[in-house]
Amino acid sequence: MTTRIVHYLNQFFTGVGGEDSAGTGPARRDGPVGPGTRLAQLLGPEFEIVTTVYCGDDYATTTPTAVQEIMALIKEAQPDVVVAGPAFTSGRYGLACARVVAAAHEAGLTAIACMHTDNPGLDEAGAAPVVASGETGRTMKETLDNLAAAVAKVAAGEPLTRADDRVGKVPRLNRLDDRNSAERAVDLVLARLGGDRRATEVPLPKFDQVTPASPLEDPSKALVAILTEGALVPDDNPDGLESARATKWLRYPLEGMDSMPAGEYRSVHGGFSTVWANEDPNRILPLDVARQLESEGAIGQLHREYMTTAGNGTSVANARRFGVEWVGELRRLGVQAALLTAT
Amino acid sequence: MCNLVSIAKRVGAPRIVTTRGIPYPAGDPSLGPADEKAWRRRLVTKALQVVATPVTAPTVFEVDEHGQ
Amino acid sequence: MKLTRLVHDVTSVALGESTSYASGTLTVSADEAAAVMASPALAEVHVSWASPGDAVRIVKVLDAVEPRTKGPGGGGIFPGLLGPPRPQGRGETHVMRGAAVVVAGYLPRAQEAVVDMSGPAAALSPLGATHNLVVEFTPTPDAAWEDVDTALRHGSLALAVLLADAGLEAPPDSVEELPSVVVPGAPVEGRPRVGAITNLQTQGTFKDSFVYGRSFAGALPTLIDPDEMDDGAVVSGQFGHPGLKNFTYLFQNHPVVEALRRRHGQDLEFAGLMLSPEPVDQDRKELVSAHAAKLCAAAGFDAAIVTKEGGGNADGDMALKMDALAELKIPAVGLFAEMAGSDGTGPSIVVPPEKATGMVSTGNYDERLVLPAVERALGGEEIALLRQKATDEVELPTAVVYGSLSPLGWGRLTCAEPAA
Repeated sequence: MTTRIVHYLNQFFTGVGGEDSAGTGPARRDGPVGPGTRLAQLLGPEFEIVTTVYCGDDYATTTPTAVQEIMALIKEAQPDVVVAGPAFTSGRYGLACARVVAAAHEAGLTAIACMHTDNPGLDEAGAAPVVASGETGRTMKETLDNLAAAVAKVAAGEPLTRADDRVGKVPRLNRLDDRNSAERAVDLVLARLGGDRRATEVPLPKFDQVTPASPLEDPSKALVAILTEGALVPDDNPDGLESARATKWLRYPLEGMDSMPAGEYRSVHGGFSTVWANEDPNRILPLDVARQLESEGAIGQLHREYMTTAGNGTSVANARRFGVEWVGELRRLGVQAALLTAT
Repeated sequence: MCNLVSIAKRVGAPRIVTTRGIPYPAGDPSLGPADEKAWRRRLVTKALQVVATPVTAPTVFEVDEHGQ
Repeated sequence: MKLTRLVHDVTSVALGESTSYASGTLTVSADEAAAVMASPALAEVHVSWASPGDAVRIVKVLDAVEPRTKGPGGGGIFPGLLGPPRPQGRGETHVMRGAAVVVAGYLPRAQEAVVDMSGPAAALSPLGATHNLVVEFTPTPDAAWEDVDTALRHGSLALAVLLADAGLEAPPDSVEELPSVVVPGAPVEGRPRVGAITNLQTQGTFKDSFVYGRSFAGALPTLIDPDEMDDGAVVSGQFGHPGLKNFTYLFQNHPVVEALRRRHGQDLEFAGLMLSPEPVDQDRKELVSAHAAKLCAAAGFDAAIVTKEGGGNADGDMALKMDALAELKIPAVGLFAEMAGSDGTGPSIVVPPEKATGMVSTGNYDERLVLPAVERALGGEEIALLRQKATDEVELPTAVVYGSLSPLGWGRLTCAEPAA
């Protein structure tokens, strides 16, 4: 039986057109197109590129429903493997390829993208594998050799590793070692004492760079929100905020309130003793003094509600999502500054 | 506004105001109620100054001990 | 001072008329168990056994204790809680190896914690391999939760003693003489002196650890004879982060201490054990870290293995302490759980050390597990937050499996990129 492949390309590599066609919506063609022709040859008779799905770069990266539409075309063709790219260093194309394989991976399909390690879209591939391409289309030949080998590997259900030129995030997966962590710690400390100063089981993680927002001109004229990750909720926790590994955030009104009353609000945070928070919830959300400052004119106006979540073992992915959603929400409502308390 | 400023810096929070303990980011239970509220007011006042201050990288601000 | 463990292997268990131990079988009287657990804060106590291989799930696990005794009534074990706070870690201690007293049920601040006695999660928890006398309880109406917590802690220690006392007259299956740690200045023939630092969670009620019966909050780091751990000098009172929990059973069988004892005199010298609190503010975290490093230098540690209890906040203590040690030229290795998201692609540790970067991974907290349906559940009817029956097939993060990411190093779970 042959392995069915759906290949994702942009408008340029499909031959639809250049920048003038970047707004083209998702569409499909039978069989391989453009770089897919060579890829099909390299993969040999056990594989078949049954369908090529393509989309203009602008449409793919700026239309909110684009990935959904592309995925619908891909699923229709019932692929065994989804291949996207190579996108080289092209930013929008790389982003589209990354999002397509991330969505395919989420949907349980085997998927692989191909782009250069410096492509800004790389990290959007989530847990789906990405194999390195060269910098530009001039490296197409070597790039397709690399991609074909990687497609054969993932199609066989084998993990793609850095040794296969995998780039981007590589998932770290749980497994059982032969020895327990305490025994491994003893070995590691002896290795370090023996002079191997880099020995470790956990490489240092990389964090995002955050560009600071420009400063507020005048707080006394601004709409200001107060937010917390201290898991402060109404006393009966009506929306079931989790005490750890939160998957959601919540919002509650502050209108008509001068203070956070004890007994009516409490923290459900699982990461610290909440005795002090529950004695006086203003210790988590400083509404009492914020209201004073508002009435004295030091704050233009307080936002009408507060947002809350629990930052306790919360994954970075979820925390980032909460942040993006909060910012979107606050911007939409004209909030100009936010004070966030963190525990 | 947090106490574990090393974490806030590490994850890239641009403007950080130091508070006095993990379980009470806007309080200090070692003070009496009036003093604690005065502390909270200084903290929030400082935070308002801080959001009006330009920064280029994670920056930690301390509340002046005898501030407003 | 030396401690000798007289080990009785528990190979089968039963409920019976009276509590007894003979040829590997530990029999418990439910009435006697209820009597030692009795407290004004507890209306009712029910005990039952859950053994390895049983299609049983224990939910809402609070603490687990290994049955141990030094003489009738405990003979001074669990000092400061069952007996007077006299220094222990000497003489003989009877150990019922293969058994545990496990308290399971609702406490308001506890996070859902699961042990499966069979299936894929059984190998992930220390309690998946022990015969567990599970204590379920009903609080007295209007009892303060703090009093319920205290009653359960004292009761479970007393129950552990009741079980171990049954073996006082039985010949031990094995006798283990524990090595003394090396003293500063003693000849070591070139072997490095490696010590352990154990951070204890100290964040107040329901998130506390007890040393000789007292909360360790507010203390400075201190050296303790590792053998004192064997006699219950440290008892858990902490109910967050089940996967990352250091329950009393693990303090009694401290895995890093055990690993260092095994290697002592071979490729290293066990230099000692230090306990440190995990304060709730940055200044004190820095203070105890600097103090711990100075104490390690004074105690002649050439290197240290650092462990924690808790999540990101506790990682902050690890990083500060490891870096403080590195400044004093004492290499340090820490045991960390990764929090890399369910797909394992996120940053794995939010506050890693900057200078001392030797880290052991005890696994990714967020990776999900599917646990098969079971016949019987103990500890509660439902799995909290999932709103699913406790006996159902459930999908959970690894973090919910009790002791699965043990910061004290019990588990074999680790985390890595797929190999080539």
